[in-house]
Amino acid sequence: MIDYTHFPIYLLLVLLISAVIIPLVNKRYNRNARGMIVGAMGIALLLAVITLIQVYLHGSFVYNFGSWASNVGIQFVIDDFSALMTFVIVLLSLLIIIYSIRDVEHEIHPKQLLGYYCLVFLLVFSMIGITLTNDLFNLYVFMEILSLTSCGIISIKRNKENLLASFRYLMLGTIGSISVLLGIALIYMVTGQLNMTEIFYSIDVAWELYPRNLLLSLGFIIVGFGIKAAIFPLHSWLPDAHSNAPSPSSALLSGLVVKVYIFAIIKVLFRTMNENIIIDAIGLNEYLLYFAAVGMIMGSVFAIGQKDIKRMLAYSSVAQLGYIFLGVGLATTEGLSAAFFHVISHALMKSALFLSAGAIIYKTEKRKIKDLAGIGYEMPITLIVFSIAALGMIGIPGISGFMTKWYLALAVLEAGRPLFLVVILLSSFLNAIYYLPIIVSAFLKPREDGSEEMTRDGIPRSMTMPMLIIAGLTLLLGIFPQVVMNIIERAVPTFL
Amino acid sequence: MMNFVIENINFIGAIILFAIGLYTVLTHPNLIKKIIGINIMETSVFLFFVSIGYIAGGRAPIITEGLAIGSYVNPLPSAMILTGIVVAVSITAYALSIIVKIHEAYGTLELDEIMKMRGGEND
Repeated sequence: MIDYTHFPIYLLLVLLISAVIIPLVNKRYNRNARGMIVGAMGIALLLAVITLIQVYLHGSFVYNFGSWASNVGIQFVIDDFSALMTFVIVLLSLLIIIYSIRDVEHEIHPKQLLGYYCLVFLLVFSMIGITLTNDLFNLYVFMEILSLTSCGIISIKRNKENLLASFRYLMLGTIGSISVLLGIALIYMVTGQLNMTEIFYSIDVAWELYPRNLLLSLGFIIVGFGIKAAIFPLHSWLPDAHSNAPSPSSALLSGLVVKVYIFAIIKVLFRTMNENIIIDAIGLNEYLLYFAAVGMIMGSVFAIGQKDIKRMLAYSSVAQLGYIFLGVGLATTEGLSAAFFHVISHALMKSALFLSAGAIIYKTEKRKIKDLAGIGYEMPITLIVFSIAALGMIGIPGISGFMTKWYLALAVLEAGRPLFLVVILLSSFLNAIYYLPIIVSAFLKPREDGSEEMTRDGIPRSMTMPMLIIAGLTLLLGIFPQVVMNIIERAVPTFL
Repeated sequence: MMNFVIENINFIGAIILFAIGLYTVLTHPNLIKKIIGINIMETSVFLFFVSIGYIAGGRAPIITEGLAIGSYVNPLPSAMILTGIVVAVSITAYALSIIVKIHEAYGTLELDEIMKMRGGEND
């Protein structure tokens, strides 16, 4: 009988070992190396699926490293949502890696290719670590690995802009993680614990005795994670970083990395602190709500002005992150479910958008939005994927983005905040303003060279298949949201 | 008042250092000095963390019989800060290596000059 509780740790080990071994074993980026990269991710996916099934069947479980007691050692909590999140992370990374195998060849120097995959494996490793860990200091360490590797996969493309973008990201990201560390220190000072569950038990006493410490620490932690997760006024690094990175990196960064930090915020707010402090005593969720609302509008407004397609997508991420924070800020069961749902649905849609934008750049080298007239006939499959995901962002029924807005609207009404319903609708209109013209001009305007032939996409099949699978998943999630919602609804009560 | 300052001098110092570091990172145009600012911030947090575990007159945490628990310094913050220092070093190394590349590309380390150059290229 195999002990399934070890599987999440095997998953981390597979990623960590392959990050080191693959560049060492293979001298060149050849067929063998590519097989090993995809194979390692495949094994990781298998482990993630088994973990998810086990958690679904037998409920969440706690893993103590080295069987140390929870107040001494490091602890992982594998509950419904973190298992689901792990599965989504590994699945999307596998698809993005399959896509990237051909795409990165023309974006990155051949000697750097194996190093790139080393970084990607470490990136996925640290994302899963943040998702599963239940220890604040461990969270910080994973966070630093994540911030270094995500800067690495931007600066590996040796453009002038990339270097500056990743330097700025590194500086702001480091300020963020130092703030988080200071916040952790302040919590440790009053509770003497680093384990989130143990802190949760003693937090009420600590709040009565030392409210100032906890207030400060919450401030530092929220600002720190807010920089990393690009809450509206702290988003300034995101457009540069996400738009200059190689397309697969953009998809990873925009689709997954930011989400992981949001999940970390949720864990700190609801599993380390509790509602008495967050909602009743400080009213922190109110601030989150208003920042989210401003972000939803302003992100879209900035996106409308962009000329570069990847920059536009990056600003659109700022707006979409607002939806997630709106759900978190409501701090109700419905709101948190909507936020979790959007974490997954936005991960799918934004990866599809970045990958299809990357495919357009791969084939035509066109990045300007106005150059994309008539490209729907040149690259039909890519543009169909782009259209599905873009319509999902706007909120057309049948695509997962609609279900998010539906759940979020219900949650807002349930909480008695109709103002935010207006914000959601307004943000949807703004989304339509910048996504629809691209779709319309791609399919309806004549091409520059005047030809009217419909051609095949002309990109490798290893790039079209992942895009089609992701687009299919967004449709699946839009039509059968219960597939994911069932798991989320089981997970949310453990937070609130 | 004086007693309060003297008793908490570690924490006050840490916060002052944090502010100095943050100010340097955000306002100084020179990239190297930004890194120095980051390092000052990191040091301040390390100082803060280690001060939490410190007990005045405490012994090194090697258990000898007959001593109460309160007479040892808490070793856990120091152990964690060792990890923190490793992280800080790797961030500094990575940032410096990017700076080398930036200097190759732009020929300067002043951010305002770089911004001027980029402004000329883009429009």
